[in-house]
Amino acid sequence: MSSIDDKAKKRLSVLSNTAVGSGAPASNAAGETARPTYWKSLAELEQSAEFLEFASREFAAPLEHEPPNSPGRRRFMQIMGASMSLAGLDACRWREDKILPLSRRPEGTIPGSSRYFATAMDLNGSAVGLFASSYDGRPIKIEGNPAHPDSLGGASAYHQATVLGLYDPDRSEGVATRTGGARKSSSWQEFSKALTEILTAQRAAAGAGLRILAERSSSPTLAEQKMRLMAAYPSAKWVTFEPIAYDGPRAGSVLSFGKAYRSHYAFDAAKVVVTLDADVVHPTFPAGLANARALTKGRVPDSGEMNRVYAIESAVTLTGGISDHRLAVRSGLIKSVAAYLDAVISAKANPLPELGAAQDKPAAEFLKDAKVAKFLDAAAADLLANIGTSVVVAGQHQPPEVHALVHRLNAVLGNVGRTVFYTEDSSAEEQSDQASLKALSDELNAGKVDTLLILGGNPVFTAPADLAFGDALSKAKNSIHLSLYEDETSERCSWHLNAAHYLESWGDALSWNGTLSIVQPLIAPLYNGRSALEVVAQFAGSEKPDALALVRMTHAFGLGSEHAWRRALSAGVLEGSAAARVEPKLKPLGKVALAEAELGGLGNGKLELVFGVDPKIVDGRYANNAWLQELPESLTKLTWDNAVFISPRTAKELGVADADSVTLSVGSRQITLLALVAPGHADGCLRVTLGHGRTSAGHVGGLVSDNIDPVGGNAYAIRTVEGYDIATGVSVQSHGTVSYRVSSTQDIYTVGEIGQQGTQERLPELVREGTLEELKTKPEFVAEVVEHNPLLSLWVPPVSYDGHKWGMSIDLNKCIGCSACVTACQAENNIPVVGKVNVAKGREMLWLRVDRYYKGEPEDAEVSFQPIPCQQCENAPCEQVCPVGATMHSHEGLNDMVYNRCIGTRYCSNNCPYKVRRFNYFNYNMDTIGVTPYTPTDDPKAKVKAMVFNPEVTVRSRGVMEKCTFCVQRIQNTKIKAKNVKRPIEDGEIKTACQQTCPTGAIVFGDLNDGKAQVTALQKLPRSYALLGELNNKPRVQYLARIKNPNPTLSPPQGAQAPTTEQG
Amino acid sequence: MAISDVNPFEAPPAGDNMFARITDNVSRIAETATPPRAWYIAFGFAQLLLVMFLGSLGYVIWTGIGAWGNMMPVAWGFPIVNFVFWIGIGHAGTLISAVLFLFRQNWRTAINRFAEAMTIFAVVCAGIFPGMHIGRPWLPYYMFPIPNQMDMWPQFRSPLEWDVFAVSTYATVSILFWYMGMIPDFATFRDRATTTVRRVAYGIVAMGWRGSSRQWHVYERAYLILAALATPLVLSVHSVVSFDFATAQLPGWHTTIFPPYFVAGAIFGGFAMVVTLAVPARQFFGLKRIITIRHLELMNKVIMATGLIVGYAYGMEFFVAYYSGNKYEQFTFVNRAFGPYAWAYWTMISCNVLLPQLHWLPKFRTNPWCTLAIGLIVNVGMWFERFVIICTSLSRDFLPSSWGYFVPTPVDLMTLGGSFGLFFTLFLLFCRYLPMVAMAEVKAFSPAGRAHGDH
Repeated sequence: MSSIDDKAKKRLSVLSNTAVGSGAPASNAAGETARPTYWKSLAELEQSAEFLEFASREFAAPLEHEPPNSPGRRRFMQIMGASMSLAGLDACRWREDKILPLSRRPEGTIPGSSRYFATAMDLNGSAVGLFASSYDGRPIKIEGNPAHPDSLGGASAYHQATVLGLYDPDRSEGVATRTGGARKSSSWQEFSKALTEILTAQRAAAGAGLRILAERSSSPTLAEQKMRLMAAYPSAKWVTFEPIAYDGPRAGSVLSFGKAYRSHYAFDAAKVVVTLDADVVHPTFPAGLANARALTKGRVPDSGEMNRVYAIESAVTLTGGISDHRLAVRSGLIKSVAAYLDAVISAKANPLPELGAAQDKPAAEFLKDAKVAKFLDAAAADLLANIGTSVVVAGQHQPPEVHALVHRLNAVLGNVGRTVFYTEDSSAEEQSDQASLKALSDELNAGKVDTLLILGGNPVFTAPADLAFGDALSKAKNSIHLSLYEDETSERCSWHLNAAHYLESWGDALSWNGTLSIVQPLIAPLYNGRSALEVVAQFAGSEKPDALALVRMTHAFGLGSEHAWRRALSAGVLEGSAAARVEPKLKPLGKVALAEAELGGLGNGKLELVFGVDPKIVDGRYANNAWLQELPESLTKLTWDNAVFISPRTAKELGVADADSVTLSVGSRQITLLALVAPGHADGCLRVTLGHGRTSAGHVGGLVSDNIDPVGGNAYAIRTVEGYDIATGVSVQSHGTVSYRVSSTQDIYTVGEIGQQGTQERLPELVREGTLEELKTKPEFVAEVVEHNPLLSLWVPPVSYDGHKWGMSIDLNKCIGCSACVTACQAENNIPVVGKVNVAKGREMLWLRVDRYYKGEPEDAEVSFQPIPCQQCENAPCEQVCPVGATMHSHEGLNDMVYNRCIGTRYCSNNCPYKVRRFNYFNYNMDTIGVTPYTPTDDPKAKVKAMVFNPEVTVRSRGVMEKCTFCVQRIQNTKIKAKNVKRPIEDGEIKTACQQTCPTGAIVFGDLNDGKAQVTALQKLPRSYALLGELNNKPRVQYLARIKNPNPTLSPPQGAQAPTTEQG
Repeated sequence: MAISDVNPFEAPPAGDNMFARITDNVSRIAETATPPRAWYIAFGFAQLLLVMFLGSLGYVIWTGIGAWGNMMPVAWGFPIVNFVFWIGIGHAGTLISAVLFLFRQNWRTAINRFAEAMTIFAVVCAGIFPGMHIGRPWLPYYMFPIPNQMDMWPQFRSPLEWDVFAVSTYATVSILFWYMGMIPDFATFRDRATTTVRRVAYGIVAMGWRGSSRQWHVYERAYLILAALATPLVLSVHSVVSFDFATAQLPGWHTTIFPPYFVAGAIFGGFAMVVTLAVPARQFFGLKRIITIRHLELMNKVIMATGLIVGYAYGMEFFVAYYSGNKYEQFTFVNRAFGPYAWAYWTMISCNVLLPQLHWLPKFRTNPWCTLAIGLIVNVGMWFERFVIICTSLSRDFLPSSWGYFVPTPVDLMTLGGSFGLFFTLFLLFCRYLPMVAMAEVKAFSPAGRAHGDH
């Protein structure tokens, strides 16, 4: 019957929420039956066919128009049953259009409300626990899991950006084969067939020709499947390769203890921290997010106590940014620094004899520099004065000896067991990553490898250049690459398998300290991809591997009961699963060979080049993520590019100017990229981040086959097995200023002398700084930085704010400048990306920016960060000048933007002293996504891209102004929740997106009318100040002044110094 | 025979008197079948510019105003510079027609008509920019207080809203004033018409003018009232426009000197535009005896006087910035003169303050070509003045982190250049079809008119 078909179709098109029976009007009046005398509805009175049909059924909303006993009903019961049983962990399937509306809402699901599911993201062998919010079955936002030891509620920019990666239209959509470069689409079925053949052959040879190249993973289930695989193919080899530096600490531990141990630091218990080229608060550092929280916990000066951080490093790191003292030393000389510290400290601390002899005082030239010696002596003295409450840390890319020296130092200082802990490194390999990859490469070249399975990663792009891994790879008969993208490696492999995103797959992962998290999918694989776990299981012999079953099998012992399993799922961590702390016995360390004779000098050929993980796109895996590409890098504020950092003095010596195009030569290998003169950078040292310059990343990160230029320069091209973390003998050749406008969001043009002076004058007022001593003796100094007349208003404020009065406090002492908040804001608020050209024009849309200022001499500049969201002024200059009332004051004190009222005069931006307003100069959302929630499209890619939108935030169109709203949607959601149960909103219940993701808790949001709220207390602190408060704008955001705890011997007390910018 | 070849004063129509000469002289321009070749060349060129203008605006509407160079922090770039520039140009016309009328400066009669025309065309050009520069150019009506389904008023505290009223009032009064002044001359055209079309067309716009003394009486009264109405507008419009800046708290904008400074600047720039138009006009249309060297000299004197006021304002801005003790204000001015936009600042100073000083020498101010050159220079200078005020102040405001450097795009330049196309197209059409000189008024003050004694 056609009417029923129509109705069914209608149901199908309407996803849900259609009121039962309201869809189709009575199509015809059957009218045969007699009209009843009493009736409940007009339909019943009419006795319409619709009604008769409706009345004949038991349930109000039939799923299918079949008798209740049909298979359809069973299917319905199955779906319902599954929904119910997975109530605690469901929403792992994106609801597809073909699911019929449920007649009864499954327990716990409210259409249009978002729910959080715990999951975890594994990177380089340790996982960070996350909460992913699911809105009607699609994940749209990532938060840190406060219960997870490596997150503690924080997340990094790249964690935030993974939701965009999930909906990346460039993701591989299926299996493909390549023969001689010709690509052919294939399927998992065909792959299974081919695999059977391959494995049959391999089984006969016990896997002699089988090699697996995997990313470093912490997954116990994957380890189990690996064991199964290795048991089935005993002669096969499993190689782990990760381009992120990992070997130094491992080998250093072997050197110190004879075995690989992981180091853990209790920075919150430390009074003195010395970092040796270690950015301990950076998210890519093991447990970096947790370190950031712990380290900044000790940097709250209001209690009168503060830790003291000494950073000895080549590049300015985030740790160096918050440090009290920073010494720029090229990375190759850190070993001498460690030896020097060992010599000085051991001489005074009288270490136990079993720790062995101390190093001799190195004779390196640079240590004779009075400034360096004074610094190191002061640091050593401070360490000695804080036995048991100090930490010495070495950077990941430092050689094993440095780590061994650091282990020794910590032991000598009595820190082990108090601030420094060790656990066994379960992923300990015998060889370094680059050595194992070299061995594999040799085998490939020797034709010993028949089948190579590459699990994730992109070794053709990331392998040391001298291995020519791409060419070696093609010598394997079968090369199989499981990957999210058809990237550089897929192009050289005979099989490409499309991987499932971590938000699409079941799995498990361990934190740095070994705490187990279950990786829970939020959505069914969009492109039917499979996880590494499933593929390895398939290799190991499973016909149809089910990741969930495999994970449950692995944890059958610990999480056997449904209850325990669900608890672990919902908490995101398994309580008490952390690896046991061990106290390994330190072996005496012989004299460490110091190479300082070769080092030194600023000339070409004498330079060192440090390869760093990119803070945004990591090793290049997120190169196709536009949010990360457009995120201003912490120090240079560079977007859509990477650069080689060079110190001011070295630059001068080599004739390199800021924003020059330079050629870097390491041996015979060369790359050309942008050079930026980095204040505070160590002389003689160059630093470049890896991961840029992708040629097959996608339409964002570079796709040469589609004429999309690579973004930035590929530093892997000059990274060799020999010069893996630090290359020496490097030369730089300048070619003059780059031909394009540098797409940096700060100082994108010459500031000039006038600008320098102006900056110099005003910065002490903008970023107020002082020392702990000053704060103790004269706490009002922060307020006294600016002298101004009493602030008077012409009239009484028209709004009384007697309900809520939202405010924010940003602690500049805690802000490490990591910029996770910026991406969190972008994800939460549907902020479009504008691309490199528009960023260079100053049109970036980020609602929240983190300003960076330098202070002192360019050679050893101090850096400070200042996040600037909309200050939500009570006396807002923007509101007064809008001719159409598109930006209005709410009775809670928010400056609300009314997008559909805005005509785009941009006057508000001109009158904003903080310049936090952003304008849609083009239809950026439409241009990048191809669709907005309000415009229909048939483009499937656009539809997938649009899934990333947060439905609670308007997607702005061309020509309207936008700005930070204090996450008004979060405020409203919580207000509704509280109002429904008639309770007041608790302090801390509403968290803005920036606040929630901040790994250090620098941002605190709350109700200033609540006397007990944290934000109220913070704004009352003597070091709280309003930025440009003298303008009488009455901003609701206040900053807590930066307070340093300098060592009196290094910086005698003096007045607050003025920061300056040094960027030319 | 082209009109420019006619020297009406050398060879007057036989048996003619002064009045007839004037009538003939002015009317011929509109009556000739073939205007001078220069007119065609100029009109063709103006048309090209106009097409470029419309093309650039169309492109901007199609793609978004990102096609211009506007960025953050310089959210107002060329379009608002152009707006202020054009609205300023208009002021001279109103000043000449209204203020000088009230002050009985009779020499104005030779130039007031096309100065008024210039005002109107400048306001037309100016009016396009605020409407086009907004992000959603299809919604400028949100700024008008019209009843709507949203039940929304505009936001009256915004100076941009004041602009809406200031500019629309100005445009209305200027058009009325201009039109009313032309009625007797339209009647002259009608009476001299040789074709039906002309007779009917000019007859309609002449609104039944017969030249009766009662009509003259009413006309003179009305003219006086409109002049009195227009006079405050000379001061108010640019004062209100200056409020766009003065009421903002941006250093470099937030200053009380802006209203008088803007008005003086507007008259300065406006007179410069009048001489720029007058010199070629008297040359090509043979009006040398009507727009005499004396007229040019008087206008040059006005240019000098207002130029000195503007120069004083430039100096005073610096002094006040220094005297205020406000470091942001001080920085803005030092940066203006010596920062990245120093080139624009010194262009402005040279064009507006230094070069007009040549007019101290009578030789310069009585030479039409020098007058034209200085007029052009002042026009450039006044455009740069607005550029300096808007762009340099915005490019470096309070927080150094948000500083930027505005670079115009080719579309910016096309829009700017194209707006001259619109202006000149309108102006050339005016020259061709409307009475370019207020014949009736000139007659009243001509020696022949005075022969009867004062009115």
